Amino acid sequence: MSAEDLPKNEAQVLKGHEGAVLTARFNKDGNYCLTGGKDRTIRLWNPHRGIHIKTYKAHAREVRDVHVTPDNSKICSCGGDRQVFYWDVSTGRVIRKFRGHDSEVNAVKFNEYSSVVVSAGYDRSLRAWDCRSHSTEPIQIIDTFLDSVMSVCLTKTEIIAGSVDGTVRTFDIRIGRELSDDLGQPVNCISLSNDGNCVLASCLDSTLRLLDRTSGELLQEYKGHTCKSFKMDCCLTNSDAHVVGGSEDGRLFFWDLVDASVVSSFRAHSSVVTSVSYHPKDNCVMTASVDGSVRVWKA
Amino acid sequence: MASDEEDFVFFGTPIEREEDITSRKKKSIAEASGQLRTLAPWKQEVRDEEGRRRFHGAFSGGFSAGYFNTVGSKEGWTPQTFTSSRKNRAEIKQQDLSNFLDDDEKAELEGNSLGTSMQFDTFGFTAAEVARKQVEKEQNERPSAIPGPAPDEIVVPATDPIGVRLMLKMGWRRGHSIKSSKTSSLYDARREARKAFLALSEDAKAPVAGPTQAEAEDDIELSTDGVSQLHKSTPVYVLNPKQDMHGLGYDPFKGAPEFRENKRSHLPGNKESGHKRQPPKKDGLFSFKTRNVAPGFGIGALEELDAEDEDVYASGYDFEAFVEEIEEPTKLAIEDKKKTTVKQHGILPGFKPATNSDYQLERFDPPVVPKDFVPHHNFPATSEVNHKMTELPPKDVPPPEDNNLKILIEGVATLVARCGPLFEELSREKNQSNPLFDFLNGGNGHDYYKRKLWEAKQKHGDKIKPLLKEKVTPNTQKMTAESRGNILGEKPLLRSVAKDVPAPVSVTETVNLQFHLSDTFTEPSSFVEPTEITKPFQHDPAKQDRFEQYMKEKYHGGLRTKDAGESSKMSESARARERLEFEAAAEAITQGKWGKESQPSGQQILGVPGGRGLQFTSGGSEKMEVSRGEETIEKSMFPKREEFQWRPASILCKRFDLIDPYMGKPPPPPRSRSKLDSLIFMPDYVKAATEVEKTFSNNKLPVSQLDEKGETSVEDVVEVENVERPVDLYKAIFSDDSDDEEGSSNIIINQPQSEDPTKKIEAANTTLSRLVAGDFLESLGKELGLEVPPENHVNVKPPQPTQKSTPQKQEPINSDSHKDINRIQENSSKNDASELNHEKRDTKVERKGSSSEDDRKRKRSKRHRNRNRNGSSSDGNASESSDDYRDRDRHSSRRKERKKESSRDRSSSHGRHRKHRSRDSSSKSRRYDDKDYGDGKREKRKSRD
Repeated sequence: MSAEDLPKNEAQVLKGHEGAVLTARFNKDGNYCLTGGKDRTIRLWNPHRGIHIKTYKAHAREVRDVHVTPDNSKICSCGGDRQVFYWDVSTGRVIRKFRGHDSEVNAVKFNEYSSVVVSAGYDRSLRAWDCRSHSTEPIQIIDTFLDSVMSVCLTKTEIIAGSVDGTVRTFDIRIGRELSDDLGQPVNCISLSNDGNCVLASCLDSTLRLLDRTSGELLQEYKGHTCKSFKMDCCLTNSDAHVVGGSEDGRLFFWDLVDASVVSSFRAHSSVVTSVSYHPKDNCVMTASVDGSVRVWKA
Repeated sequence: MASDEEDFVFFGTPIEREEDITSRKKKSIAEASGQLRTLAPWKQEVRDEEGRRRFHGAFSGGFSAGYFNTVGSKEGWTPQTFTSSRKNRAEIKQQDLSNFLDDDEKAELEGNSLGTSMQFDTFGFTAAEVARKQVEKEQNERPSAIPGPAPDEIVVPATDPIGVRLMLKMGWRRGHSIKSSKTSSLYDARREARKAFLALSEDAKAPVAGPTQAEAEDDIELSTDGVSQLHKSTPVYVLNPKQDMHGLGYDPFKGAPEFRENKRSHLPGNKESGHKRQPPKKDGLFSFKTRNVAPGFGIGALEELDAEDEDVYASGYDFEAFVEEIEEPTKLAIEDKKKTTVKQHGILPGFKPATNSDYQLERFDPPVVPKDFVPHHNFPATSEVNHKMTELPPKDVPPPEDNNLKILIEGVATLVARCGPLFEELSREKNQSNPLFDFLNGGNGHDYYKRKLWEAKQKHGDKIKPLLKEKVTPNTQKMTAESRGNILGEKPLLRSVAKDVPAPVSVTETVNLQFHLSDTFTEPSSFVEPTEITKPFQHDPAKQDRFEQYMKEKYHGGLRTKDAGESSKMSESARARERLEFEAAAEAITQGKWGKESQPSGQQILGVPGGRGLQFTSGGSEKMEVSRGEETIEKSMFPKREEFQWRPASILCKRFDLIDPYMGKPPPPPRSRSKLDSLIFMPDYVKAATEVEKTFSNNKLPVSQLDEKGETSVEDVVEVENVERPVDLYKAIFSDDSDDEEGSSNIIINQPQSEDPTKKIEAANTTLSRLVAGDFLESLGKELGLEVPPENHVNVKPPQPTQKSTPQKQEPINSDSHKDINRIQENSSKNDASELNHEKRDTKVERKGSSSEDDRKRKRSKRHRNRNRNGSSSDGNASESSDDYRDRDRHSSRRKERKKESSRDRSSSHGRHRKHRSRDSSSKSRRYDDKDYGDGKREKRKSRD
């Protein structure tokens, strides 16, 4: 994919959230998206036609992260109310509320089989919640972090989480091993490459760092944007050719993966770009911002 | 007195005296006086004239039933036939049949009832006619049922037939039916069929076609009513061609009427889809045959149309068809027009444009002009850089014999490359007479000069390109991968031959670099000294190979997916360590520390105590600047990888569909049961994990020693690390009551190891008597807090005090754990002595087995057995490194035992435990324990025999 194919034209603006939008996530096939924001709602959209489909209300505080199962049947979300909500998509009801985090929950993800929700909290812990049983107790608490856990990613066998203590920790369930990669800078967000070999970590020194997961080696650093105080997302394009990240000045940046040059950058929002999500198949990226809008960009 | 009264005759009514009037009565009188009447109704109590409240029954009103205990009402008592309940049905004064019928019956009767027709209209064509016109208008907007154009000229609007005109004269109005349809009970079934259709069109009652539809429905509902037939008009059916692919009468939305609306929105032309199913039966080719058939009821292909199938509404439809006939031409014409317009959009009737088409025109865009393209032609002569790309490299020739000449040639070549061909001209003119510069004019060394010039040009041009991160010494930065490839890649062997000439003292940079490069990559054995420099892992060829592999991979760049595959035998941590070393070495090379004299040592780079044979060769002087080395460390510090043990919950593994890596190991301790627990234990957990790593590194002995003994020792160390702290705690708390138990249980633990039962029994027999006494002594000693060494215990005491000061641990209280560490170290060191002690060990085991029997004889308490089970399981797991506290607890018992036994014995017993574990994997299970117990019993029996 050349740089010309990168999304740069605004295709849709999803408006409806009141206040900042903190997270925007495509579903697995990219036909729908979920956004969550300060207005305590989760909204389901068709981002390609710009249609608002449903609103999920139950959170008592802002929604910080949301994730949907591959079969689009369930949603998990988390936020400032210290709870992880497990939703039924079609009815819009909360199936379960997982309480246990001592503080705000920053990120949440389903595992591959949608049987476990793993949440990362400000209380320096990762918690795994069981969706199959009716228990609302966490099935595992990982509290080896030294500071707030900002982001979590799951593979088939591993839990990877980035924390403000500067580490990206990989918990390999199969081996029973914890690998801690200390980056020396607070990690804001982590994102897995699509081939699963690398992890991209957004650090608060306005640098994105690409780590080789097998060796823990720093492969590349991407600079040019501003990321100093906000929880902001970063991701790789679906071809793994470019790195996408927002900036606190409202710009969206595309870096070349290998030589770390800024391939494209444009003003996407008037304010901080909080969330970036790349379409799983198309050349399409979705950005959410503090200015309350979600924008869909296409090539 | 009663008898007295009979004698008297009274006249008049006796005056009641005050006191005779009961209080109740008084009250009622008072009420009646109106004083109480002012109370609110719900406060008033109903009483009879006696002032009593009357109880009607708990479920029939209590004390107050009816209207203040009367059958009256507010308005007074009015007899009524029937008053009803909630919805004021009482107002229906006049009852008729319908009041007594339920819905089904009503529906049945409906056809027979009389009703007013909406169609009745005194003033002729008003409402009906308006509606008709509207319908016509609408029809124009519909696609036609007949595809294809029909020009207006062909379809000439027909004038009204004479019959119609006659009838109009007679007072007939369009749309009114003439014939009265026969009424029959048979019609009901037909009606239902019609209703099914109506249900389809129910939601299509668009306000526009309101009256018309009302007509239609009235007709449907009342058509069975022969009397009113004349006043009714036949409905005008909006002809709506069937546009879907469903069969006639099939309703795709039968079960889901919600979607009908949805569907209609998709078909914009079909505002009144309800009508659309009706026309085909009139317009179709088979209209004659199917005309009279009720819609919704199909006739099989082989069935004949008979009376049953005839439509009850035949008359209506007949007429309707007639009317249609009249209107048809205009309608068709208009529709055709519409159709043509539709056609213009390239859409066939009955089809709708796909929202997303599979077919996509493949476009071939013109080639994109690069962004940085400047429409300005660059002539190749002006740029050396472009030039050299096309230039063929001159033949590579060996340098001239004369060293001075060689240096001169190289120098000139470099200068020429830098300053351009003009310089060459200049120097040629200047040094015309100088024989040294013959090479400029094609003399001695001309070929070499050409070659050098070309190389220099390459170099010069490449300076423009970003320099790759190479192991280029700072003073030879001009050398890039490309030029080096040219130098080395083409004829590396040839170059190395040239290198056999020892380098002069003042070589130019290029030559120097060539030396280094060729040493690194081509012929390492040609030069001894540079080889050592660039081969940091010379002592370990395998490692050196890996290092080279690493270097290669590193400079290939990009995302590396595979780890070094050949080092799969190495442990993860070892690999990580090695990688770190490689990185440091590479860094050092890049920074020119691998130059001629300076050489960093492994210690300085890695900050790890050395002396393990993995070090960098330290042949040269160690003049490296430490500060730079530290910089390297800093740089390679982030990202820093650490590895810990982590235990996933078993249910987590299950949910992730993975096998629990800790399956079969005892469950993890309950997390932080109390503050104290977490305080004491949690740090230990982490420490144990790091300790594992440490021991790994410490056990990186020379390869010869890294056999399985080394590994076992590693495991043992881990075990010990896990154990030590809690033992102290437990000991501190439970030392008094656990002592005797531990002693006995340990003996029992060892019982199942004995592999030679017969021998054991022999020994047991011989030593039985002694043992009884010994056991007694032992237990007595324990009671008194003394340690009584077992009698036939042959000990090889390790020189413990010398190792007590091992630097690994500094726990002041922890003499036990110290011993354990020592024991392990001895284990590895003293394995050579193990052969000597084999026999002794055997006897020892026998003795243990028999003593356990004695134990069982003496103690049969449940607690004791529990201990035993714990002990056996812990031994089964002794070799595993686990962070289980119960384990630690159990290990304390082992340690007690060890106090009395030699390290040799313990190591042997340990080995046997492991063996035993492999035999019976479910070492923890109860079954195991029972078996154990049974074995013991059997043996006992045998020994008695």
